[in-house]
Amino acid sequence: MSPRMLTPFVLGLLSALLLVACRGNTVSHRKLVEVIVPSQDNPYFQAEAAAAAARARELGYDVRIDAHNDDPYTQDNLIDVAIASNASVLILDNAGADASISAVRRAAKAGIACFLIDREIRASNIAKAQIVADNLGGAELLGKRFADVLGGRGTYAELLGRESDTNAQLRNSGFHLSLDKYPQLIRVAAQSANWSQSEAFQRTETILQAHNDLNGIIAGNDTMALGALAAVKNDRRKKMTIVGFDGSPDALSAIREGTLDATILQPAVKIAVLAVNEADRLIKTGTTGLPERQWVPCELVTRQNVDEFRAFQRTKPKQAGE
Amino acid sequence: MNEVMSPLSPPSPLRAGAAWRSTAALLLKLRSLLALAILVLFFSSMTSSFLTANNLSILAKHVAITALLAVGTSFVILAGGIDLSLGSVAGLSGMIAGYLLVDGMRFAGAPHFLPAWLVILLSLACGGIVGWVNGILVTRFSIPPFIATLGTLYVGRGAALLISNGRTFPDLAGDAARHNTGFPLLGQAYLAGIPLPVWLMAMLAFLAWLLASKTPFGRHVYAVGGNERAALLCGIAVSRVKIWTYIISGFCAALVGLIIAGQLEAAHPATGQSFELNAIAAVVLGGTSLIGGRGSIYGSLVGAFVIGVLADGLVMLGVSEFWQMVIKGVVIILAVGIDQLQNRFQLRLQESR
Repeated sequence: MSPRMLTPFVLGLLSALLLVACRGNTVSHRKLVEVIVPSQDNPYFQAEAAAAAARARELGYDVRIDAHNDDPYTQDNLIDVAIASNASVLILDNAGADASISAVRRAAKAGIACFLIDREIRASNIAKAQIVADNLGGAELLGKRFADVLGGRGTYAELLGRESDTNAQLRNSGFHLSLDKYPQLIRVAAQSANWSQSEAFQRTETILQAHNDLNGIIAGNDTMALGALAAVKNDRRKKMTIVGFDGSPDALSAIREGTLDATILQPAVKIAVLAVNEADRLIKTGTTGLPERQWVPCELVTRQNVDEFRAFQRTKPKQAGE
Repeated sequence: MNEVMSPLSPPSPLRAGAAWRSTAALLLKLRSLLALAILVLFFSSMTSSFLTANNLSILAKHVAITALLAVGTSFVILAGGIDLSLGSVAGLSGMIAGYLLVDGMRFAGAPHFLPAWLVILLSLACGGIVGWVNGILVTRFSIPPFIATLGTLYVGRGAALLISNGRTFPDLAGDAARHNTGFPLLGQAYLAGIPLPVWLMAMLAFLAWLLASKTPFGRHVYAVGGNERAALLCGIAVSRVKIWTYIISGFCAALVGLIIAGQLEAAHPATGQSFELNAIAAVVLGGTSLIGGRGSIYGSLVGAFVIGVLADGLVMLGVSEFWQMVIKGVVIILAVGIDQLQNRFQLRLQESR
């Protein structure tokens, strides 16, 4: 191509790309709900963002979804853009309990009603509500189930989440509220696998080398539990009790197959919908009518009740006797 | 096209063709500015809140981060090097500032707190020191810049995590009792209605322009990047020039880390991940050659604006994150593609004269 043809060609291509990317965007005068979640390629945050967006559209708002990829600076920029776009509501799954405070404060000062979901920040009276799953209670429940299945004796390994994450610490304390009641249940290894499947796989392989009498593995999330599961499968030893936390679709199908014993379902969908409902109530009546800090209970999922759940939400009512 | 190349063609079409060509050459030369203008026009036509004073101020504040990194690292690239440690240095300097403000220096068991300005100076010095180490590794130990700075990328990030054991330093506002308040102003203050980071960007870009185009050091940087052997034979202290380019780069990266920590009022060890790629993209968009010797500070500044406008504009339009990545990648490839074409084109233009 001759160089003089190139400039128009490039500009045309750029505009075409932008047009494709922006199709369906029309100028509207409806109120904007900005949803910011940690990532858009993880099923948990996908479910959460999709649920919030769907509910907000249902209530007649415009919705924009963005991801901060656990980077407080990216989150800061996204909140700036939300302020510049005159958003009315911010639904935020934040990028750090301390590092998010100044950004949320700025949004609140600019008149945006901030609703924090899934993760709290270490400051009160800035957000209209902070709605999170009861991680401590859920972890305690899972710890009890794990101990019961093992018969209250034996050795186990614990895979911890990212150390800087409050939920990793909460779940760890919750597990031990239950597990430490059993003196014959001994933790022989505890490693952080940073919430990651591949890291959990490697850690578990190493742990299995050192402890070939291991009876169970308790993991801080489903992703790590599935990593541990793969390592145990490769090892082809006796069946081991593995439990996870979150209620991801992969974990639910592993429970259905019987390879994973249990998980704790975090009601991500319910929390997202609650946040949007409260935001709507705030806009219409001037108050949410609820305290700022709200904890939504988690549910234990085992082979008995796995069919009542789907990807981070309960889809069928509780059966009698559970 | 062919008839112009031929020496037998009549004079008048030659002149017309030449006029066409010089216009095209000018357009190509100004391409980054043109791209910027088109992006601004496009976004302001798509969303009414884009071209507002409020948004432009926010936009400039976001651009300042990429621009400061790009301007600083331009010297390294102009001298034929590359600095991959920018993002880590930004993270590290923020963590050092956080440590000094929140935990304090420990002498004989008791913590001592330094005033905010001293904390800022010390953190900036650390950035300079990492840059100096990069420079020494590249010159004294002849480690290729890509490898040397890849190494410091990991060391810097690890050090940032070690300082706090992975924890975030909260509340950098300081404490009046410790006489160390005022640090967040670096990221949050406004002067004459314009955010302080934007002033810093303008100031440093001006200084960098002076340095690059009006001083012997600037000439030497271009000379080293253009032909290192020739520069050496001309008596230029090649090693010293290179070391200084890395020091400038590290200093600017540290400043960026401090601005971000000031904005967030918290120091987070993972701050700045992949910032170096944004900075390199801005430099390249501005027409600077990665082989060195050719380019300008002005170009890097415009490049940073293109990246910033694109990023914020696409978010405002509600374009999905995945599309944003595709578009950014295409823009970078196109920019470098056009750059190569421009070189060929200018060569041909000179031949046809």
